[in-house]
Amino acid sequence: MWRNVRLGAFIVGTLTILAVGVFLIGKKQFLFSSTYNLKSEFDNVAGLKNGAEVRVGGIHKGMVDQIQLPTTSNGKVIVIMELDKSTDDIIKTDSVSSIQTEGLLGDKYVAISFGSQDAPRVKDGDTIGSQPPLDFSGLIKKANQILDTTQDTVSHANDAVANFRSIGSKIDQGKGTVGALINDRKLFDQANAATAQAKAGATAFQENMEALKHNWFLRGFFKQRGYTDTKDLTQNEIARLPQGPAVRSFAYDGKQIFAKPDTAKLKGEKALDGAGRFLEQNEFGLVVVVASTGVQGDAKTNLVLSQARAMVVRDYLVKKFKVDDAHLKTLGQGEIAQAKTGEAGKIEIVVYPVGVGIPPAKYPSSSGG
Amino acid sequence: MQSALAKLNSRLADFEAPKALSLFEWFGELGNFCARLAKAAISPPYEGRELVRQLDEVGSKSLPLVALAGAATGVVLSLQTYASFSRFGAQSLLPAVIVHSLVEESGPIVTGLIVAGRVGAGIGAELGSMRVTEQIDAIEASAVNPYKYLVATRVQACILMLPLLTLAADACGILMGWLTNTLTEPTSLQLFLEAGTKTLTFNDFLPPTLKTAVFGLIVGLIACFQGMRTRGGTEGVGRAATSSVVLSSLGIVLADVLLVRLILVFFP
Repeated sequence: MWRNVRLGAFIVGTLTILAVGVFLIGKKQFLFSSTYNLKSEFDNVAGLKNGAEVRVGGIHKGMVDQIQLPTTSNGKVIVIMELDKSTDDIIKTDSVSSIQTEGLLGDKYVAISFGSQDAPRVKDGDTIGSQPPLDFSGLIKKANQILDTTQDTVSHANDAVANFRSIGSKIDQGKGTVGALINDRKLFDQANAATAQAKAGATAFQENMEALKHNWFLRGFFKQRGYTDTKDLTQNEIARLPQGPAVRSFAYDGKQIFAKPDTAKLKGEKALDGAGRFLEQNEFGLVVVVASTGVQGDAKTNLVLSQARAMVVRDYLVKKFKVDDAHLKTLGQGEIAQAKTGEAGKIEIVVYPVGVGIPPAKYPSSSGG
Repeated sequence: MQSALAKLNSRLADFEAPKALSLFEWFGELGNFCARLAKAAISPPYEGRELVRQLDEVGSKSLPLVALAGAATGVVLSLQTYASFSRFGAQSLLPAVIVHSLVEESGPIVTGLIVAGRVGAGIGAELGSMRVTEQIDAIEASAVNPYKYLVATRVQACILMLPLLTLAADACGILMGWLTNTLTEPTSLQLFLEAGTKTLTFNDFLPPTLKTAVFGLIVGLIACFQGMRTRGGTEGVGRAATSSVVLSSLGIVLADVLLVRLILVFFP
């Protein structure tokens, strides 16, 4: 009797241990809860095994039931998962499954994301979307590439820094132009002195040029031309004749005043004295020396010639007579039909009364008035 | 016919074979023994009362010893793996290592060896003394098949009880493993079990537990065989007891090599 009880107790006890063991393991394989199946398709399951965990929201809620190789080469690996019924409300048709690794080298498991609130519920045997697994070896490969690139960059940066340092130290030591500039005060002084000399040189050159114009060798050319400085030509020129009637007008033939038909060299300048005296004796608002040439020759040259002639006449009047040169202007009209002016051109001194508006300068310049 | 066979058997036993041949002789006798045993075990009538007595003898009476051995294994595993795992900072794997190790290998082999020592020696000595005191002949004379009454019940008891004893050893080992572990790293039993059985599957649990039935077969078979072929007085009884323990332990260890391999192949 006692023996039977003891034996029965032993058997019941050990079988209880078996039951506990089976329950502990079975609970993980969801043997004792109602489940449903879901499928997901992957290109590569990265070593996922049958019986691997399926986690929903990070909680172990199912297991991988089967992994099927595709039957055709363009197919995908189908992972069939067995999930606890309680995940039914969370997993929707737009949930996404992904294969993940526990830690760096741990077991693979499938993680299923929550579906959106209004997506339809999944049914038993449905297929949900998948995300390709993050392959650790692929990750290492990528990291390796990044490291290589970084290394390159760093070594380039190192080179650049070394260059900068070498340049910096050279500058510091006063080597090279920049170094000398930075370190040598003398050079700066020299540069200053050189600039001053250059300035002085330029002035001297200008004076030389001026002297040259007046020396005997070149004097003839300028004398022939009738004026020395081209830039003076239009200094007092106005754009047009002022409006309003003129008081008086003196007209001369070009032949009468100038040596040649194509130069501005005065010859019969005494003819202008009448006009000069009139200007001395009478008040005037504005006097314009208007010059024009014949059509013979280049139009451009003739324009310059007319301007030059007007200037020369004005210069003569200013020098010879006491007139207000601020109100003595010129106007070169260039070519005007031969019938009006004659071959040698025409000079006209037009006098306007006091109060007439002075027209604007033809070539306004910042320096001239 | 059975008496003729017995005569043949005793005549064969008288035959002094050279040493090299004794191994084959042993296997031959074992085969003969197995054939008789199988026939006796399958055919009715069954010795229910004697079977219960043997189940109690092998199972319940071995339980304290086996539980102690399992507990000791659990403690040793916990201490040893803690020492090595803490070097890698892998203490969190301790429950899994202890549970896997106990359930898959340590529990079954420790139980097998303990039972081989305790039950194997008992059976060898008991049957040996019955043989030398001619009790077996007396049983046979009273028209009771000694293979049915003495041998089959003991072998069956061993086969049936060893998996249960293994479960007890596993449980004690895991409990003591947890207790030892929690002294250094306080953990709740629930967390310990949860972590320990996390990667445990039925393939890790049931085949290794059931393989101890094979260990039971080996222990029962060899102990009974050695006991039944005892020769030569009390000295022979001692020899029978010793050889039962040694050969069944050896058989268990060797069989385990094969079984582990087979389990790995068929229950991956």
